[in-house]
Amino acid sequence: MKELEKVKRISIASTLFILAVIIGVLTFERPKNMYAINTKDTLEKLVDNDYLMAFNEINKPDIVLIDVRSQYEYEKGHLVDAINMPSPEILSEENQSIFIELKDSKKTVVIYGKTPEEANIPFLMLYQLGFDNVKLLSVDISYLQNKLVANTVNIEKPIADIKAFIDESIKNSNSSSTVIKKVQPAPKKIITVKKKKKKPVEGGC
Amino acid sequence: MVKKTVAKVLSFRYKILALILVLLAGGLVVLPKYQKQKGIKSEQLLSNAISPERYISTDQLADKIINQDPSFILIDVRDEDSYNNYSLPNALNIPLQNLLDQDFEGYLNQNQFDVIFYSNDNFYADQAWVLCDRLGYKNLRVLNGGINKWFTTIINPTEPTETMSTEEYKLYSTRKAASMFFGVMYPDQMTAEDSNLNVPVPKKVITVKKKKKRAAEGGC
Repeated sequence: MKELEKVKRISIASTLFILAVIIGVLTFERPKNMYAINTKDTLEKLVDNDYLMAFNEINKPDIVLIDVRSQYEYEKGHLVDAINMPSPEILSEENQSIFIELKDSKKTVVIYGKTPEEANIPFLMLYQLGFDNVKLLSVDISYLQNKLVANTVNIEKPIADIKAFIDESIKNSNSSSTVIKKVQPAPKKIITVKKKKKKPVEGGC
Repeated sequence: MVKKTVAKVLSFRYKILALILVLLAGGLVVLPKYQKQKGIKSEQLLSNAISPERYISTDQLADKIINQDPSFILIDVRDEDSYNNYSLPNALNIPLQNLLDQDFEGYLNQNQFDVIFYSNDNFYADQAWVLCDRLGYKNLRVLNGGINKWFTTIINPTEPTETMSTEEYKLYSTRKAASMFFGVMYPDQMTAEDSNLNVPVPKKVITVKKKKKRAAEGGC
């Protein structure tokens, strides 16, 4: 009799355990928008630099353009056949399903914004989520007489050699001051006065 | 009849329960691999990345450098050659491809200093920012416009035209002063000083003037 009771308890306990597991499995929800690639791999890809796409390549058939500017700017003007997806909303369920669909149909997604810098963040997000068919269009969007103009830009191109600029400015100022000295070489005392004047300036600082 | 079959099934119940438990245990093997997500969630990362707070303007940065603000470190993510050619004062060079090297983690992952990334523009700096922010590093900033904007605003500010407001002129004079701090020399500056000197020379009043000036400077 005692043994029977023990067995009964065991069976009740195991049934409850199984129930708990089943409930757990049924209510389990996969977290959304998981990263598929870790930071190291992302960095490797970024160093490769092959995620950039030039403006003249977008006429290929397998390309879908995504405009990450705001809806207002999109309506003002956009590239032909572009889909509007403002960057704060790229992780929404609806947009994610679009991306998954595009990935499954083996299309290349090309992202553009007002500048490549603006498209950079959405591109990086999507890439880290595992959409390796995403590329970045290196164009600047501007308007000329209400007409949209897309200019190809070189990303991260230095606009000036600052060191050379500073050296040049020092050289220019030196040469101009020597010119003045040459103009009035006679009163040599002036120069000493100038030196004295300069000294307190330095000390004051 | 029904009772009989029920009883028959019930007699197997322990075996059935045991079988289910074994199946569940077997199911553990089939479970998909759990991917450990290091750092912050993607939604959080996106909202951080979109916020303009993460940018610092060139004027703010120039102000910080000139006032010797000790609370930040500058990280230059360009390659070594451009870093050696020109860089902001006291900047540390971490080329983008070495960003996640072990050696540099100490600089990036800390709470004491603001980390300011910059590159020629803010494109690579943004990428560095996103990767570090995803790892949960704190106090990260990006120099808006990078070295190019630094050049156009601080090193070589454009002179305001006559139609512009007084604010523009004030901004220009502060920027010009800042550019002198960063080593740029202006020819007009020098000639102006020289011509000032040259005019009073013959009168020999200079000594008096000198004394006056000295007193004022000492007061500073």
